[in-house]
Amino acid sequence: MSNILVIDLGLCTGCRNCELACSQKHTSTFNPRRSRIQVLKDESRNVILPLVCLHCEVPLCAGACPTSAIIKDDAGTLVVDTKKCVGCSDCVTACVYGGVVLDPMTQRAIKCDLCSGDPACVKACQYGAITMLPRELRGLRGRYEGTKRVLQSYLLIEEGT
Amino acid sequence: MPFPYKGYAGYYLEVDLTKGNLYKREMEKEWARRYLGGTGIAAQILWERTGPQTEPLSPENVLVAATGPLTGVMFSPSGRMMFASRGPLTGIWAESHVGGFFGPEMKYAGFDVVIIHGRSSKPVYLYLCDGKAELRNASDLWGRETDTTIQMIREEHKDPSIETAVIGPAGENQVLFGCISVDAHRSAGRTGLGAVMGFKNLKGIVASGSFGLEAYNTEAYLKANEQETAKLKDPLWKESIASLKDYGTTGLVTMINEIGRLPTKNHWTGFYEEAEQIGPEAISRGYRIAEEACYGCSIGCKYVYRIKEGRFAIGPVGGPEYETIMAFGSNCLNSNLQSILYLGTRCDRLGMDTISCGKTIGFAMELWEKGILTSKDTGGLDLTWGNVDSMVKLVEMISKKEGIGAILSQGTRLAAEKIGGDAATYAIHSKGLEASGQDPRAHQSVGLTYATNVRGADHLRSLSSLEELGYPDVIIKRFGKDKFKEIMKITSPIHKGEVIKDIEDLYALVDSAVICKYGTMWPPVYYFDTFVNVIPPLTGMAEWGDPRIVREAAERICHLRRAYNHRLGITRKQETLPKRLLSDPMPTGPAKGGFPQLDYMLDEYYKFRGCDTKTGLPKKETLIRLDMGPVAKELEARKMLAPAQSA
Repeated sequence: MSNILVIDLGLCTGCRNCELACSQKHTSTFNPRRSRIQVLKDESRNVILPLVCLHCEVPLCAGACPTSAIIKDDAGTLVVDTKKCVGCSDCVTACVYGGVVLDPMTQRAIKCDLCSGDPACVKACQYGAITMLPRELRGLRGRYEGTKRVLQSYLLIEEGT
Repeated sequence: MPFPYKGYAGYYLEVDLTKGNLYKREMEKEWARRYLGGTGIAAQILWERTGPQTEPLSPENVLVAATGPLTGVMFSPSGRMMFASRGPLTGIWAESHVGGFFGPEMKYAGFDVVIIHGRSSKPVYLYLCDGKAELRNASDLWGRETDTTIQMIREEHKDPSIETAVIGPAGENQVLFGCISVDAHRSAGRTGLGAVMGFKNLKGIVASGSFGLEAYNTEAYLKANEQETAKLKDPLWKESIASLKDYGTTGLVTMINEIGRLPTKNHWTGFYEEAEQIGPEAISRGYRIAEEACYGCSIGCKYVYRIKEGRFAIGPVGGPEYETIMAFGSNCLNSNLQSILYLGTRCDRLGMDTISCGKTIGFAMELWEKGILTSKDTGGLDLTWGNVDSMVKLVEMISKKEGIGAILSQGTRLAAEKIGGDAATYAIHSKGLEASGQDPRAHQSVGLTYATNVRGADHLRSLSSLEELGYPDVIIKRFGKDKFKEIMKITSPIHKGEVIKDIEDLYALVDSAVICKYGTMWPPVYYFDTFVNVIPPLTGMAEWGDPRIVREAAERICHLRRAYNHRLGITRKQETLPKRLLSDPMPTGPAKGGFPQLDYMLDEYYKFRGCDTKTGLPKKETLIRLDMGPVAKELEARKMLAPAQSA
């Protein structure tokens, strides 16, 4: 059973420590632009939205990749084979969830690889907003519940629900 | 030799607004070694480039925006940076610190420090991106409130990651307490640095960057970092941290009122009977909708509020801090919570310091009560205590310098001079800066903090929470068992000179690193050893592993900022308190009858600071010990060094 990251927006304070931890783990630098998880903000609507790969069952990014660089590893996690990636950013366009970005240094696609099962962001989050759960009902439901705050902010669901 | 240290971006930027020239320069090794960053580096720059000949609102004045090595490197908290200049409100050393996300982004954009001088002929803003800098046209942004300005800049660049430090209409109009607003709802509030930007026709500084920051020894730094931030989790601080998380600084309204230190009725007293109505529970119950945090911070004291309906409907937007609630609430005898939140946000959007603004309005209300200001002066505005309608109007008028707002926009000291008569009696300031939300009559050491603070009457350079909240173990560890009893007494002046000197030193490093007062002031977790542990593996400055060097750097920063003020004529005579806080005993509340024994504390402070007790000026040997020979030489030439024969 593969895993997914579940983020509870109700707990997220937008401190972006996850970005720093992720970039530290993957690039040995503190550089949020090279992080695989990135926090989008719209303060006027009280929206703080960490964007990270959802590890889709039918990944649009993989389908869009002309060199088949986005593949599932042995644990069922979608990863980028940087040797194959040519930096065309088709995957970035294809992913409607903002889960893939181009690394500004290498100009190659980067996305969450769940740190091979021990995600740095989960450890770095001081507010317990990020957890890693198996992709089964529990994880998927957690992910849905976690988005309530932003859905309320955009009036897609009513407050109090 | 290239700049050798890690943890820094490695470059600083010189901006000549008059000519429109930008110069990117490698960071100075000595700046980092001697001053670390932030306030220390700013002090060195301003000492060299400004002085008595520099009018605060002139092209010659220099505005420094500075980060420190701990900005943006995953230290909790690491979102802070600072601005400094010769202050327009006070005429002396002025600095203001701010959290959020702008400081780190400045470093990711490739610059540790930005030095701005000159004056642009038309409105511009400074854009920093990936090691490059550019002055861009800000004509469309001029006149806009801060929230609109930020939206427009974000849209112009189509860059959601862009971070901003901008001024609002108040800064543009050179309201002397205009502030610099950082990202959506944080402000470098105090000392009127927004007016400096306004004068220079500089609408803002914005940054966006993809440059990474490296540690000198990543593994060792991460380990030291983890050890330090783990200290925040000690059960000892559980209550403090929980309060900050749940209420932010609004929790202080109740805590401080309980000890009779909540400025009420323009500092007449320190106890507000209706404090509960403007307190943390009322905000939390009615208006708070979310918790927020600055970059990498595990405390998360920021909150978001919204007033859904009614005349004060506003938000979602960042919630006012304790100081704002004090300034527009108890200080003006205003228990209408919605109006306080609203006024705080209006000030944020207009770009004004809520403390100075609220305090100046409280001052005007007292003048009204005393008959010094009448409706002829105010254009018909009724300034009775707690008149919310008038307060709402007055905030707008001050930002536009309309009517009575023009006089009040200069802060209490200058306004009192203009108004004349007895007005100066009710101007509650030190060195021109309106007092913040403490009262020395309830808390002895606050008197010393206010009097000696290099930027004027406020708490952020040396407030001690040790005796206020009672941290016996910390006091014993820092000052020894035999002094513990007296230090714990909030109403005793004994040993407070030593405590405040020590804390001022500590905060000098906090403000240079740059980190936050939460985790250092309250709760008092990080101390000098934090810098000893963290700075060497982060930067590669091995000497910072020596506690003696770290202490010396702290003292050097304090003395350099003091020297800056001495050169402008500040001596012991100016390091004092307004009469009300000095000699009118507290009239009501838990601290009734109290007043600060300032002279006693000052004597002790100067002794520990290495200054002459009579004048407050530094002794030559103190400055020589701190390797500040050139500073001593200049002060000597200006007769601002302690006389050689003095004890």
